[in-house]
Amino acid sequence: MEDPAHKVRERFTSGEISAKEIVEQSFERIALHNPKLQAFLALFNKRALEKAEALDLKRKNKKPLGKLAAVPIAIKDNLQIKGEITTCASKFLTNYRAPFDATVVRLLEEEDAIIIGKNNMDEFAMGSAGKHSAFGATKNPWDLSCSPGGSSSGSGAAVSARLCPVALGTDTGGSIRYPAALCGITGFKPTYGRVSRYGLVAFGSSLDQVGPMTRSAKDAALLMEVMGKYCDKDATSLNIPPVRYTLEIDHPIADQSIGVPWNFLESLAEETRQNFLQSLEIFKTLGAKIVDVDLDILKYGIAIYYILSTAEASTNLARFDGIRYGNRSKEAKTLEEIYEYSRKEGFGWEVKNRISLGTFVLSAGYHEAYYAKAQKVRTLIIQHLKKAFEICSVIALPSAPKASYSLKAIKDPIDEYLQDLYTVGANLAGLPAISIPSGWSQDQKPFGLQLMGPQMHDAAVLRFAHAFQKETDFASTHPPGFGDAP
Amino acid sequence: MSKNDEVDISHLIQLCRIQFSEEEKKVLKEDLKKILRYMTLLEEVDTSGAAPCIHVNETLINVLREDVRGSPMNREEFLKNAPDHVGGMIKVPPVISFEE
Repeated sequence: MEDPAHKVRERFTSGEISAKEIVEQSFERIALHNPKLQAFLALFNKRALEKAEALDLKRKNKKPLGKLAAVPIAIKDNLQIKGEITTCASKFLTNYRAPFDATVVRLLEEEDAIIIGKNNMDEFAMGSAGKHSAFGATKNPWDLSCSPGGSSSGSGAAVSARLCPVALGTDTGGSIRYPAALCGITGFKPTYGRVSRYGLVAFGSSLDQVGPMTRSAKDAALLMEVMGKYCDKDATSLNIPPVRYTLEIDHPIADQSIGVPWNFLESLAEETRQNFLQSLEIFKTLGAKIVDVDLDILKYGIAIYYILSTAEASTNLARFDGIRYGNRSKEAKTLEEIYEYSRKEGFGWEVKNRISLGTFVLSAGYHEAYYAKAQKVRTLIIQHLKKAFEICSVIALPSAPKASYSLKAIKDPIDEYLQDLYTVGANLAGLPAISIPSGWSQDQKPFGLQLMGPQMHDAAVLRFAHAFQKETDFASTHPPGFGDAP
Repeated sequence: MSKNDEVDISHLIQLCRIQFSEEEKKVLKEDLKKILRYMTLLEEVDTSGAAPCIHVNETLINVLREDVRGSPMNREEFLKNAPDHVGGMIKVPPVISFEE
């Protein structure tokens, strides 16, 4: 499973390997490594093998093969796959079986991808450390005592450990890019509205976006070509012509400008700063120009993100009331008790905490001071970013304040929230952004470089990332102990 | 927004429709206090000229589908996930009680 997605497809279509062999290899690696990583919550051995056999037959009969033919893909467990359990890593949904397919899942399968299982995550995508899963924390393949980042923790760990070449994640405040950085892989959050959210269990509806977690920007481009389509079942979906990302990424980046918000990065930790500076040097050798942009306003990002995302979460999670689906408390005798006991039993602490915070900032007497204020600061952030993009094609930032840390290290909620300091800006403004591996700390934990573009400039972001990856080999290095066969 | 915003926990958890133990209420109150204190950072931002953000994509306005019949989910299929149902309907405890 060392091969990236486009290579897997190539080897399958050329007849070098069968789809069945590919799937078996993937499951063999999962059986070997998943017990220590806890990257998967469910495995679809039967479903995947049936699909593989159908693909082998399709190839034998010389039928046209899809863009993701025989590529094993794992799906974060907040995306619905018809007939399969969708838990969102919550006890509330332990027995919930999805009655329909998320649009992204359908699009992947139409292009002959093989869905192999569901990834562990922070409960309802709330968390930055991968430790808030009701079914146990995911571990980082680079160091099993460390956090893989969250909330797409299992997706990050699975791709990093070479259990599969691609996993889907979702990103509300950094939940694709942050785990991608900590796990040393590529994670792309598309422009808000590029990828359908139909079938995604909503967290913060003005921020959520589905995206690919891969070994390279080239694979992310391939996935975007398949997933980046208009969907009439999602009212925020953008009805715009599809983009040929796989062709767009090869255009040169020489003479284009990369904005760096030096004032916002003043307090950056020294090791992270050194790594970031090295990345900028690589871009300079590729002919890109570095320009200074003023984005000091992003220092307010976390405060407004946690007002807006929790407000939206408190509303979205009101549907989990124990009436129509999910957990219903056996202790409850009245209707009110069904709500209160079912939610008490079903939700973990972080989810309860965020629902409470969101309810508070929306409540009478506080709404104006917190929620309305945050929406105004959000407007200012959008304006500052627009201005910054007048003089540069993309903005570069670290993906995370530091490399991975011990799962036991984070105790205070604010500490965990601040891990998203560099990623929330893209969500608040609906921008496309990518995290790509950019080297290692002294204790061999991966660093991530983040590139962020204006809305709709997803291809530009992927292009800069691809140019960087053609020049470096950070992305092709696997964690020690996770290389080679099987 | 003020450093002294006191959270009325009993009222708040009633709004949340989540039952908390006394011990949990204390922890929640402490957590919220810390988080709300951090948010007072926003007081220093001058937002007098800024309108609240309504939607990040200004091109999307009143997205409505055509008023035509779709294909709703099959009732049997839906009820498979229901905790309790009778006669094709979701079953809940009495909403109005006739007993004294």
